[in-house]
Amino acid sequence: MNLASSKRTPFGVHPIQWLVLAFVIALGIGPLSLAFTRLWAVTGITPWEAVTQVYELPAAKDALTFAVLEATVSTVFTVAIGLPLAWAFGRYSWSRMRLKRSLLFLPFVTPPIVAAAGFLALLSPGGIVYALGIDLRGETGIIAWMASATGWEHPGHFIALITAHVWFNLSLVVRFVEPVVAQLDPRWEEQLRLLPAGQTRLGRIQHLWIPILGPATTVAAAYTFFFSFTSFAMVKWLAPASNTLESLLGEMGGTAGIEGYRVEASLAVLGIATFQTVMMLLMLILAGRFERKHSQVLSLHHEEANRRKHGAAPRVWSWFANGLLIMLLAPLVSVVVASFRVRSSNGATAGYEWTFEGWKRAWSGDFSTVPVYDALANSLTYAVITLLVALPLGYAVASSLVTLRREGHRRVAGMLDSLCMLPLSMSAVMVGLGMVAGILRWYPDLFSFPYLPVVPHVMLVLPFVIRLLTPAMERIEPKFAEQASLLSLGPLAFWWHSRGSFLVVPATMAASLCLAFSLGEFGATYLVVRVGSWDSLSIMVDQVASRPKFDPFVLPTAMALATVLMVVTLMVLTVNERARAWRVRHEV
Amino acid sequence: MRTMLITLLLFLAPLSGCLLETEDDGCVSAQGSGGEGPLRILTYDIAAFSDEMLGEFTCNTGYEIELIYADDAGGILELLLQTQQAPQAHVAIGLDNTYLQSAIDFGLLAEHDVNTTHIDPTVMERYSGPFAVPFDQGDVCLNYDEREVDGENLTIPTSLWNLTEPAWKGKTVFPSPLTSSPGRAFMAATVSYFENDEDESTDAFDWWQAMFENGATVTTGWTEAYEIHYSGGYGAWVDGHLGDAALTVSYCHSPGVEAYYSGNWTVSTSLLLPRAAFHQIEYGGLVNGGGNVEAANAFLTYLLSEEVNRNMPVNNLMQSVLVNATWPESEGYRYHTDVPEVKADLSTERIGAEMDAWLLAWTDEKNEAEA
Repeated sequence: MNLASSKRTPFGVHPIQWLVLAFVIALGIGPLSLAFTRLWAVTGITPWEAVTQVYELPAAKDALTFAVLEATVSTVFTVAIGLPLAWAFGRYSWSRMRLKRSLLFLPFVTPPIVAAAGFLALLSPGGIVYALGIDLRGETGIIAWMASATGWEHPGHFIALITAHVWFNLSLVVRFVEPVVAQLDPRWEEQLRLLPAGQTRLGRIQHLWIPILGPATTVAAAYTFFFSFTSFAMVKWLAPASNTLESLLGEMGGTAGIEGYRVEASLAVLGIATFQTVMMLLMLILAGRFERKHSQVLSLHHEEANRRKHGAAPRVWSWFANGLLIMLLAPLVSVVVASFRVRSSNGATAGYEWTFEGWKRAWSGDFSTVPVYDALANSLTYAVITLLVALPLGYAVASSLVTLRREGHRRVAGMLDSLCMLPLSMSAVMVGLGMVAGILRWYPDLFSFPYLPVVPHVMLVLPFVIRLLTPAMERIEPKFAEQASLLSLGPLAFWWHSRGSFLVVPATMAASLCLAFSLGEFGATYLVVRVGSWDSLSIMVDQVASRPKFDPFVLPTAMALATVLMVVTLMVLTVNERARAWRVRHEV
Repeated sequence: MRTMLITLLLFLAPLSGCLLETEDDGCVSAQGSGGEGPLRILTYDIAAFSDEMLGEFTCNTGYEIELIYADDAGGILELLLQTQQAPQAHVAIGLDNTYLQSAIDFGLLAEHDVNTTHIDPTVMERYSGPFAVPFDQGDVCLNYDEREVDGENLTIPTSLWNLTEPAWKGKTVFPSPLTSSPGRAFMAATVSYFENDEDESTDAFDWWQAMFENGATVTTGWTEAYEIHYSGGYGAWVDGHLGDAALTVSYCHSPGVEAYYSGNWTVSTSLLLPRAAFHQIEYGGLVNGGGNVEAANAFLTYLLSEEVNRNMPVNNLMQSVLVNATWPESEGYRYHTDVPEVKADLSTERIGAEMDAWLLAWTDEKNEAEA
């Protein structure tokens, strides 16, 4: 178990760990380099030359401006709302905490097309937002006034998009920041209160909370920015007049990389993808450097004891957190409602009826060649395999990075860390192209491998697992290992007492991410082709919801499937949260 | 935990029956056609390929089926091109006549062995070679909202140029020909339309430029155009509907489909300008180098059978390619379906040869208008 303490290389890392590191980095670099090589060969120009031509495309220029703007605003609002929520969840005791955490995480795993449908229901006539007199969709009333007064085109669509991005990313901030608050030794705060700098709330924020929460908040903010910057489905449905670079790539991606066929599309994809990759990579490196610079060894504390110490949340916090949870659930409730609502069959007398027909069709599988139970089984299988592969890999990489830093090789660790983050900087189009152009060409039998969809899932969750485990490992004080070594423990017991037991909480969170990403089919778009029998529940939802809706039962059926996905996800996350609760109960 | 288990049981209860089903249905025993595994069909999400339809084929022939999905007709061609060296499918279903010639020119399809004598000869006029068989058809044309185009707010266009007039500013939406097959079909129709109009000084791309300058909205796919922007379609009942366009590209039979699902009621109708409609035919073909030829031919034959193909209007919202194909009479499907008399006159070969240049010209006009 304790590989680092046995045979070591000059850098202090075991050869097996080096192998894992190499594998994880290759998993990210492989498809990307294959895609770039293919596009380079097809267009005959280098990626750098292609970048210079991006600005000649008016659509790319507009998409870049829009993506930077919406991602920045989304990030600011997500952090502004998420930080107090994380602080409240970490500091106070809450009833039904596991359920609340799971509910909070649901938006993150909801397929974007379902989320968009939920939001559109809220914004359209009959929806709550519309009922409040705010017409973000049709842009009448105050929104029309805003548009004419400022000259801002489609402010309603922009506000709707930002709201959806905040809704989607809020759980990220909570997931990263809440454990830091929950596990902080309360003596720090108590001691600071005795000092002049800690007399006021502002002083404590400045001298305690910002340094403590800064790194985790920055990481959460960085990911929020990435997800918003590369937003695709949300932009398509909520801001139909706008594009991000990713949605632009999505439009052109399928045609790219084919010799002698629409080479101009390959050229545009090469330029835009290079630009986006470099930009994302630079931001990831900067965020990583910031986190490393500011991360520090903090003594871990019993989170339940911390919460007991602070008691139940004051009423203001309680209203804030519970109110926010209810708001977060609103789009999801809209989805459930939409599964029972069908438009009147006679258009002349427009209206809606309530029926179980959508649910009946969802169960009977009229709309798909994969029955619901097969899709459900596929979803759960992919999620579990993703978890079983990504968690040990992520642990090994995080462990190597921590060892490198402790051995004084911070620069090497930083470089490797950035390389492990590479998959996050990639466009779905490029990975898809890399898979088809390279891997499937060299090893076509892989195409028949039924667990192929797990590959992009693992690729995508690994950076998050590494990001969660690395700081947690760095926070473990070396004295625990020293103390454990004094006891005559076996390797497994030594590992558990010196490291493993301290990682249950971050590992649980990483596991949540693995399961959630996979269930939400985060990487579905990474496969430009899919085999029907592999379809998971989220792909089925997407497939049915994308169909022409002449038949009024198409949408209720899609929403019924989405509801099943939400319920299953909630159950999986709640079960996973029990591990964290178990750890808390057994903490010494 | 107990509550969760009960909820889970309630959810899974309806599925339990499926697990108990026994197989004693008189089907031909399943086979993998000479050790080549299941028949792999590359297609997009074609509604006609229901579980029941595919199950019937497997039952009758013993060939198991595995579907491989691309996004749309263009996605099928692109995937065939990208995997040409290592074909992944045995048969491709869904290439239309704007993509077919490219597929043939690139050598992506192999000769089939399917009897086509029962197919409507007028359909076979478009392509009667050995590399593909048609399986459904429909006319792509402009649809408009009769409530908006009522002769007062907007008058019914008698020429495509009418749509470039100020009255139509911002009131039209088109799926992009770069990413949508109906969009591509309509763009091809405009080429034919302007080649045959009286004005020889302008062509289709002058018209497209004028349309972009007149605020025409371009969407990635048909769904966004019809569902979000078009005011005359079912989108009016879908959350998020904008309804800012009184005219869009769809099929001439779309009003019929609207009526069929809405109790013989629709406010949408098609605009039948000579040569502004494109007769779209969708094809199936054997993938060159894909193998499993016998099963692939059997499937194409099944697709063209009376029992499957005659039901295309209801099962796939497209017309059958068999002789004497008719639209269903029920709920005003046929009544609200228009059949254009003079369609775009473009050969499959010409489309294959010139499509790339048309797409480039269209993109240039769009970029110029946006710059």
